Amino acid sequence: MARIRLESVGKRYPNGFVALEELSLEIADREFVVLLGPSGCGKSTTLNLIAGLEDVTAGSLYFDSTLMNVVPAHKRDVAMVFQSYALYPHKSVYENIAFGLRMRGHPRAEIESRVKDAARSLEIEPLLERRPHQLSGGQRQRVALGRALVRQPAAFLMDEPLSNLDAALRIAMRAEIKKLHHTMRTTFVYVTHDQAEALTLADRIVVMREGVIQQIGSPEEIYDRPRNTFVASFLGNPPINYLEGTLAADGARFVRGGLSLALPPELSKKIGAENGRQVRLGIRAEDVDPRGTGETLQGRISSVLPVGSDQFLGVEVEGTTLFFRVGRELRAAEGENVALSVNMNRAQIFDSSSGASLLWK
Amino acid sequence: MKGLGRNVLLFTASALFLVYVLAPVAWLVSSSVQQEAEITSRPPHWIPRQPTLENFEAIFQAKEKKVTYETRRAGDPATGGYIPSTARDLVPSMWNSLIVAVSVVVLNLLVAVPAAYAMAKIRYIGRSTSIYFMLTTRVIPDIALVVPFFLFIRTFGLLDHLGSLVITYLAITIPFSVFILVGYFESLPDELDKAARVDGCSRLQTLLRVYVPLAMPSLVAVVLFTFLTSWNEFLLALMFTQTPASQTMPIVVASFASDFTISFSFINAAGVLAVVPPVLMAVVFERYIVSGLTAGAVKG
Amino acid sequence: MSIRAGALRGVFGAPVSRYDQASALWLLAPMLAVLLVVAVFPVLYSFWISLFDLRLTRPHRVPFVGLDNYLEVLQDELFWSSVWRTTSFTLMSVTAIMVIALAMALLLNEEFRGRRFLSAMLLVPWAIPYVANGLMWKWIYDSGYGALNGLLFQLDFIDKYMVWLGDSHKTLALIANAFVWKEVPLATILLLVGLKSIPADLYSAARVDGADLWRRFVHITLPALRPSFMLVMIYETMMAIRHFDLFFILTEGGPAEASHVLAWQVYVETFRKLSFGTGSALAYIMALVTFLLAFWLIRTLGRKL
Repeated sequence: MARIRLESVGKRYPNGFVALEELSLEIADREFVVLLGPSGCGKSTTLNLIAGLEDVTAGSLYFDSTLMNVVPAHKRDVAMVFQSYALYPHKSVYENIAFGLRMRGHPRAEIESRVKDAARSLEIEPLLERRPHQLSGGQRQRVALGRALVRQPAAFLMDEPLSNLDAALRIAMRAEIKKLHHTMRTTFVYVTHDQAEALTLADRIVVMREGVIQQIGSPEEIYDRPRNTFVASFLGNPPINYLEGTLAADGARFVRGGLSLALPPELSKKIGAENGRQVRLGIRAEDVDPRGTGETLQGRISSVLPVGSDQFLGVEVEGTTLFFRVGRELRAAEGENVALSVNMNRAQIFDSSSGASLLWK
Repeated sequence: MKGLGRNVLLFTASALFLVYVLAPVAWLVSSSVQQEAEITSRPPHWIPRQPTLENFEAIFQAKEKKVTYETRRAGDPATGGYIPSTARDLVPSMWNSLIVAVSVVVLNLLVAVPAAYAMAKIRYIGRSTSIYFMLTTRVIPDIALVVPFFLFIRTFGLLDHLGSLVITYLAITIPFSVFILVGYFESLPDELDKAARVDGCSRLQTLLRVYVPLAMPSLVAVVLFTFLTSWNEFLLALMFTQTPASQTMPIVVASFASDFTISFSFINAAGVLAVVPPVLMAVVFERYIVSGLTAGAVKG
Repeated sequence: MSIRAGALRGVFGAPVSRYDQASALWLLAPMLAVLLVVAVFPVLYSFWISLFDLRLTRPHRVPFVGLDNYLEVLQDELFWSSVWRTTSFTLMSVTAIMVIALAMALLLNEEFRGRRFLSAMLLVPWAIPYVANGLMWKWIYDSGYGALNGLLFQLDFIDKYMVWLGDSHKTLALIANAFVWKEVPLATILLLVGLKSIPADLYSAARVDGADLWRRFVHITLPALRPSFMLVMIYETMMAIRHFDLFFILTEGGPAEASHVLAWQVYVETFRKLSFGTGSALAYIMALVTFLLAFWLIRTLGRKL
């Protein structure tokens, strides 16, 4: 159980590559934090730094109030779960789970009872005598979890643990990991590039890009109040739609060509009155309604993709194609014109050049 | 289909292959069980008519038999020919070879395994420099090492001592061992390394408890390569050994060759004895040699 | 990517992990120590010796002669004829090794019953000590009762037994043959590894395109095999240049100087004439040549580990 604090942490490799720049982050005890970002954004590096597999090259890293900068991995009380599971191929499942306890010199009887408990809670008791190569992907994943949780570590680190599983299993395992977090009552740091995992698991999400934190917040905050276009684009399926245009009527209207949308007073208040300012309007795919009233977008349907419960519509509006998710009850065909009302209360406004949000700082 | 043609081709090629590889050795074995009279027949008896183990007996009994000018002139009744005065050194020299080879193997593992692990799995400053350094040392011809080694070894009083061979053989075997092991370690996943580290292993424990058990095939290959290189080495042993106290098998066997009075049947028996241990090892562990080399070479 | 000054401060060249840096050095230390003592030191010491007129026959007077030993070696006619003989021995051997090894590797790359047996037997010549190999071929080449004479006689290629190793026109080729026989297995295995790494898809694709066996060999196998072929060829070249054992066992440089190669000359200078100065200079020249060759190897193949 530990609070993890990173203060202006930097990571630069001997070849000059900068993986992290002045990263500051405080993870509360028993919190579930997800580091989210595309590959190469520094999220795995951050995890390695917390694990002690690599040194920070600038700033400080604390567990509670202990400075951990140069404490090597085997002297930190952390456990880790990997994408490839990284089970020891030459050891049985039992030995895999027991290994960490053994290395830390726990008595034999205690190890046995703890391994049995862990195996029971993960429902892998019958597999204890098997070797990793005799297990399915899902079973291996459970063993990997067992190996980490049996140690009852101060921090539980997970590096894309579900990426190698098939879609159905991944969703089931998400629920298990969430349950695990409740029962273990310890700090979880979870790295993923999958927004759905981040949104379902996290207490807080840290969105990263090229070694710099873009935004830290609860899943709702990250989704509803993105601080820039990168964060807004990274979450949502299909991704958020952008329309470039200008502000008019003292920040009360968004104008692009023939299209003019009224902004709700709460939003325009935040933007400030700057007529003619170049802005980017963001509309999430699900924030339209074919039957609603209010501000409407007119366009020609360019594609229709049914996705089971819903359908994705590609709509050409003022020279750009926007993608929306609407219910199946809308009978839409390619080439037809459509009018969709926009929930402007959920609209996002960004600065055109910097991509920074004008609504959320 | 073209199955028959392919089979005929493969069969012919295989036969040629086997003849090329085995015929010289088969002839060596065949002539080692022939008596002097038979071995000197023209044309040769490819298959011995009266196979005998007398030549081998002569080698193992050479210690008890006194070899003098007279017995040599008279010819040794055991072989029907001359046996050299150095014959008695053959069996002890094989012990010397064994001691040297085993020592080199053990030291090799102690030195090469940690180094290869560091090169393959740890990202440290100077990594590529150390790899190039290691590879270039193997490029030096053995013969260029001879003079400095000789003076060096003489200074330390190690001349005519097995220790001098052990040290010098390390120079020629370590780079190759490291090369094979680096290839193998690199083929094992990095995440195992991380897993072991967070499970509480220091670097050394990670190596001993995770990588060494997993690298068994290439460790066997390294042991074989090192053993055979040491067992077979000739040039350095020729320079650094002077008396039977330290002479290895190749030196004693070579000494037979320079003596024109020695019966070929005897030399051939000695040759067979020298050949049997390494060939048995190589054939029995064939799988490991090829796979050990493969991991190293594929990466390279 | 933008780099902020804060992240730059004092971190250039910092190791990925200080613990790792330290443990890597500890793990490497034994190897570095051994190689410094048994490889680096001798090479430097050897150069030092080559600057002196050191003769074991006259151990108390060792004058410094600078590069005179090198001049002496380079002006020696025997040196240049040895270079020539070494070159021709190397060319003969390496050509034969590559041809035979390629044929054997192609055979072993096929799937058929008995393949495993063949590859096990291939290791027989490889495992045999060079000394035993030398004795074996000396016996085969024997002018009185040797198998070569016997075989050729029985097949009516010759009508009387002939002198082989003693014939200065044949010596080098016969030694090369013994060398080739022992070197072929390793070359075959290394080439086989190269062959196995060619993706099977390439062959299927070529077959679909209608390429026959020969075209597949020329257009797929050979280009894909180039790196391992180069590696083996240069490795064997280095082995041939430095080879000593067979010359000692089979001919001792003879008859006359027919098999007097560089490695043999180093031996004669140092251990027969006991002139360590010129011997070292000679060895140094050899080492330098092989070194440059190896450097060329590393550059050409662009190896990275």
